[in-house]
Amino acid sequence: MEMLIYSGVYLFGVFISSISQVMLKKSSQKNYGSTLAEYLNPLVISAYTLFFAATLMTIYSYKVIPISLGPILESTSYLYVSIFGVAIFKEKLGAKKILAIALILVGIVIYSFGVRT
Amino acid sequence: MAEREQNGDKRINGRAWALVALHILLFVYSFSGFFSKNAARQPFMSFEFCAFYAGMLAIMVIYAVGWQQILKHLPLTLAFANKAVTVVWGIVWGAVFFGEAITWPMILGAAIVMAGLVLFGIADAQERADGGGDE
Repeated sequence: MEMLIYSGVYLFGVFISSISQVMLKKSSQKNYGSTLAEYLNPLVISAYTLFFAATLMTIYSYKVIPISLGPILESTSYLYVSIFGVAIFKEKLGAKKILAIALILVGIVIYSFGVRT
Repeated sequence: MAEREQNGDKRINGRAWALVALHILLFVYSFSGFFSKNAARQPFMSFEFCAFYAGMLAIMVIYAVGWQQILKHLPLTLAFANKAVTVVWGIVWGAVFFGEAITWPMILGAAIVMAGLVLFGIADAQERADGGGDE
């Protein structure tokens, strides 16, 4: 049960860090007056606040979650970001790209089985 | 027509350079694991923990600055998929800095991840050659 709760915290952290990626991409599509303004704007600052919260969640969850499970939980970000990329930014995701993401996910799971802790 | 081809070449070259820059950035980013792993070995909020955590944050700042520039040139899905290359660097740095074992499932998994990255890149190039394209 404890494991489930900590996994949930980790997964929620991954989810909000995926949302932060969307905010960063949104910001990158805007024209700002200066390079500094490309970073010091509400979107980027909020995105990294979310991201920072997510890293704390990750560290907190590792109290219970084995390190080897980390990459597997983390890999859910590829699903979220792909879905957001298509839904929000109308990026193209054909059959080959979906297969490519599946390979990445399968590769990460196989890799994690080999990690000795 | 020739001009259009030239523009197409420029676009593809621009993306190729962005991908090279992305991989240099991800190489730097892969060192964040070195710092976070060291931080995890220290008592929470001890001086050592904070020092390693600060090191990790410093790399994250460099990464964040570069990532924002990359996102201007690449679709989010393409840039993010390439982040998976850090699995390979994780194996290398684990062995080099922490004497961690490299096992066959790790190598096989990393090879499959790389195959996925290459396939994603090829599919993206094909889509663009077919006239579609996104930023």
